[in-house]
Formats: sequence, structure tokens, C-alpha cells
Amino acid sequence: MTLMNVVRRNLKMFFKDKGLFISSLLSPMILLVLYATFLANVYKESFTDALPEEFHVSDALMNGTVASQLIFSLMAVSCVTVAFCSNLLMIGDKASGAIGDFTVSPVKRSVIAAGYYIASAASTLIVTFTALAAGLLYLSTQGWFMSFTDVLLVIGDVFLLTLFGTALSSCIHFFLSTNGQASAVGTIISAGYGFLCGAYMPISTFGKGLQNVLMFLPSTYATSLLKNHIMDGLFREMETAGFPQEAITGIRDSVDCNIYFFGTRVPTWVMAVILIGSVVLFTGLFVLLHVLSKGHMRKK
Amino acid sequence: MEKVIQIDHLFKSYGDVKAVSDLSFVVKKGELFAFLGVNGAGKSTTISMICGQLAKDSGSITVLGRDVEKEFDAVSRKIGVVFQNSVLDRKLTVKENLRSRGALYGITGRAFEKRLGELSKVLDFESFLNRPLDKLSGGQRRRVDIARALLHEPEILILDEPTTGLDPQTRRILWNVIEKERLERSLTVFLTTHYMEEASDADYIIILESGKIAAEGTPLYLKNKYAGDYVTIYGCGEDKIKDLGVSYTKIRDGVKIKVSDTSEVTDLILKHPDLFKDYEVTKGRMDDVFLEVTGKALEGGAAQ
Repeated sequence: MTLMNVVRRNLKMFFKDKGLFISSLLSPMILLVLYATFLANVYKESFTDALPEEFHVSDALMNGTVASQLIFSLMAVSCVTVAFCSNLLMIGDKASGAIGDFTVSPVKRSVIAAGYYIASAASTLIVTFTALAAGLLYLSTQGWFMSFTDVLLVIGDVFLLTLFGTALSSCIHFFLSTNGQASAVGTIISAGYGFLCGAYMPISTFGKGLQNVLMFLPSTYATSLLKNHIMDGLFREMETAGFPQEAITGIRDSVDCNIYFFGTRVPTWVMAVILIGSVVLFTGLFVLLHVLSKGHMRKK
Repeated sequence: MEKVIQIDHLFKSYGDVKAVSDLSFVVKKGELFAFLGVNGAGKSTTISMICGQLAKDSGSITVLGRDVEKEFDAVSRKIGVVFQNSVLDRKLTVKENLRSRGALYGITGRAFEKRLGELSKVLDFESFLNRPLDKLSGGQRRRVDIARALLHEPEILILDEPTTGLDPQTRRILWNVIEKERLERSLTVFLTTHYMEEASDADYIIILESGKIAAEGTPLYLKNKYAGDYVTIYGCGEDKIKDLGVSYTKIRDGVKIKVSDTSEVTDLILKHPDLFKDYEVTKGRMDDVFLEVTGKALEGGAAQ
């Protein structure tokens, strides 16, 4: 009951800040337009160059492949960066002193933490699912090869990835106390996360040393999971179109649908387990940080 | 009388700065307890420790017989706090704010509506229940702050400079409500203020300086000890007073003589009955006490 009320209050606070909500909602749409405008041709040329000359590829398959790459890039990045942008209430409460009003009450620290987490995840999910809907709509205009199951799996991936972004941003924002600090962190994450998770450029194109390091980050597997589920239909279509298995494997490797942990290919179910595990780990850590900060008191 | 707050040998430092140093005092049930001191004297630090917001270095804080650090959950249900600055959500309406805070104490549904009705009536904010806080004046916001602190009917109300910057009418409303709660529910009020006339009404006063108690006692005791009394003689020529050999201040209608206590006045009257045709004896003010104890004046939110 208390948790529900805390969540309700946090959601109200988020939606009262219309500027924050609209900018969170618009940023993935703007990214989609920018990607389609500036990156589509680059992806298209890169895909065409990689194919043997004797291969004829339908426009739908070609455009669908390019659009899929744009959409998994967009979603892999947005689920995390939008979470960083919308998960600001905890910091706002520190700045305004409202957090003191909660901590003088008998409400448990874990409830306060869960309240922030659930409200932030809910508001971020609204934005990421809207972006996903726009992305799938765009994909349908370019070349649609996804099955109903693929769509459900992608929805599941976006859900998990959003929870991951919310949990990660919650843990980092826990240590911040001003909106300026949050803005600086948000900028760094927005600039760097796309590269680190393999959304902007496939990890397979990085140096071996960097690849090995990135294999220890959950974001690598989260992005790959999303890529697999968005592109599976395309690979099935390529098989039907007569692409040799080696060529398909080559494409899968080149776009990180296949991830190799020190030479061993990681199955998608393991990727899902890693993502779910990361969500549980970071969410647990965030709640634990709140509970431990109880002591319950500040030292200064 | 029952002890509701007991502090023993409390210490708190920030690096080399001793914010609170060996502080011990007791607040009794139903008292209006005033905690005075210039900015940085240690008042807010002490309040933060009583409210469980700040860890102490050593000593003990007991509220209603429970250790604040060990049994905070139980203690927090008995304390209401009005912070120095409003900490309610400015974007939300008065009702939304109070509903979300009431839920922290399990006050929801009909119980909340009932309590909201009572508080909005006595604190006179029924007319702006559905207005966002950032559209309210400072005085209106303060009334909502008091309502928030009283929502769960606490046994102890902690007021951290509640009336600073408020207009006289709002101050009167706030004090009337607090007095009513004290009379009806034996509410204990722990007050820090920069207004000495508010402190004058306290049952017990502590003046804090550099984290230590500089003076304590009832207003009468403090005034007698530190401020002395005044006798004002009206319609009396200055030349006659000069003959008394006492220090005095000339005022428009007569003279004002500072005396150590009322017995000194009695002596003067007995020796010079012809001078005392129209006179009054007044106690010293809390401002004088504060000035005498700390060497600093404290008025309207700033130490001078």
C-alpha cells in the first residue's frame, strides 16, 4: 500500500514536468530520423559490398536489413540513455530536501528505493515502447520479415533492457546530489554507451583486447540479444533466398548476432540469462544502497 | 512530568569543527521547549540527530523512552517535523502532497480525508487544497507544512524556525493551532526560532553557543539572571532621578531605571515614595538575555 502510494507520487512528479516527459519521448524519435537520414546509406553500401557480385538481393530484404540495424542501434541505446534522462526524481528530491521528509517517516528505505525504481522504470518504458512502436512501423515500410514470436521477443528484450537501464542509472544516480551532476553523467552515458554496447559499431570490428574487455559487460549481451531477435526473420529470409550458410554466419558474426566469449559462441538464452541477472543484480544493489545508507543516518 | 526527549552527553563533529559538544538536556511532556542560538550554534545538527537524519559521534538520544538510532521506526511515528524550508513537492497540489505524505504513515482513504478536513479547517487552507504548492504564498505554504507535520497526530512537534519571514497574521494562525494541539493532546513542541517573543512563551529555554549550552532555564529564571528588571517612572523630572545615583535612560514621558531585581525597586520606593506616583516594573526581555549570554543580538533570522 505504501509502496503503491510512493510510486504514484513519483509518477505524478514525473508527468508534471511536461518538458522532461516530452523531451524524453522525442529524443528517440529524433534519433530514428537522424539514423535513417545519415546512416541508412552507409549501412546499405556496407551490406552490398560484403555480398558476392553474383548475388541478387531483393529491395525489401536489403532495406529491411538496413532498417533493422538502425532500429536495434536505436533501441539498444535508447533503453539505457532515456533511463538516465528520466530517472532524475531521486536527485531532485535530494536537492529540494523532500528526501528528508520521507526519511523522518517510518517508511522503510527499501520501499523508498523501490518506489523510485518502479516509477522510473514505468516512465522509461512508456518512452521506449513508443520508440519501439515507431521503429517497427518504420521497419514495416522498409521490409518486414519478423514473425509474431520475434515481435514478442523484441518487446521482452526492450522491457528487460529498460529495466537494466533503470537499475544502472539508479545505482549511479544514488551517489549524485545535483541535477548538474546528473546532466554531466547523462551526457557521458549518451556519448559513450552506444559504442561500448556495440550499438553504433559492431564489437567484432574492435581490437581483440577491447573485445575481450567488452565480453565482461552485460550491455554486450543485451545488445546482441536485441539484434538476434530483430534480425532472425531476415536471416530466415536469406536462407530461403539461397544465401550460403557461411555467408549468413559471416553476416551474423559481422553484426554481433554471434558473440564469442573467448572463442565459444554464446547462445541467445545465455544472453537473456545474463541480462535478467544484471537487472536483478543492479536492482538489488540499488535497494541495498538505500538500506545501507540507513545506518540509517548520514554521517555528514 | 514524563520525559519525552532525553539527550545525554551528545557529541557531533564535522572534521575539526565541534558542532555539538557534550550536550545534555531533557524535554518534558506537553512543554514548549525553545532551543535558541545564532546560526552555526548547533541547533539544526541537534534536531537532525533527534529526527534520525544524522548519526551522532557519541552520547545518547532517547525519545519517549526509545533509542533513536535503534528504534527509529517507532520513534518516527511519534515525531512531526516542520523543516526550516518547505520540503513538500512544489509541482503537486496541497491535497496530492498531503495524501502522499499521509500514506507514509498508513493514513489513506477515509482516514486521510477526515484528517485532511480537520487540518484544512483549523489551518484555513480549504480554499486552496487543489492548487499546486508553487502557486501559493510563503504563508500559505507554511500552513501546509504544519498540516503535513501534524497529519499523523505526533506526540512531539519539532519546529525548525517555523515562522521566519511570515506575516503576523499567518504567525498567529500557526501559533493558535499549535497551542490548541498542546492543550487538547498535550503535544510537546521543540522549537528553534529567531523571534524572541516566541521564545518568551516557552516553558523552558536553552541557549546554545558553539555546540554547548550557554544558558538554560525558564524564561523568568533567565530574565532574572541575565536581563534584570526595569522600573519606568512617568511624569518625573530628570533632576530628581540624578539625585538617586542610579543609571537611567530618559524616555519621552519619564525615565527608565535598570535594576537587578524587584527587591531593589522596593527599596527605592520605600526610600523615595514621593517619586513613585506613576510607575511600572517590567521584566527584562529575552533579547536582553540572549545579548547578555552570547554577546550577540538575534532578530528576524540573523545574528548581529
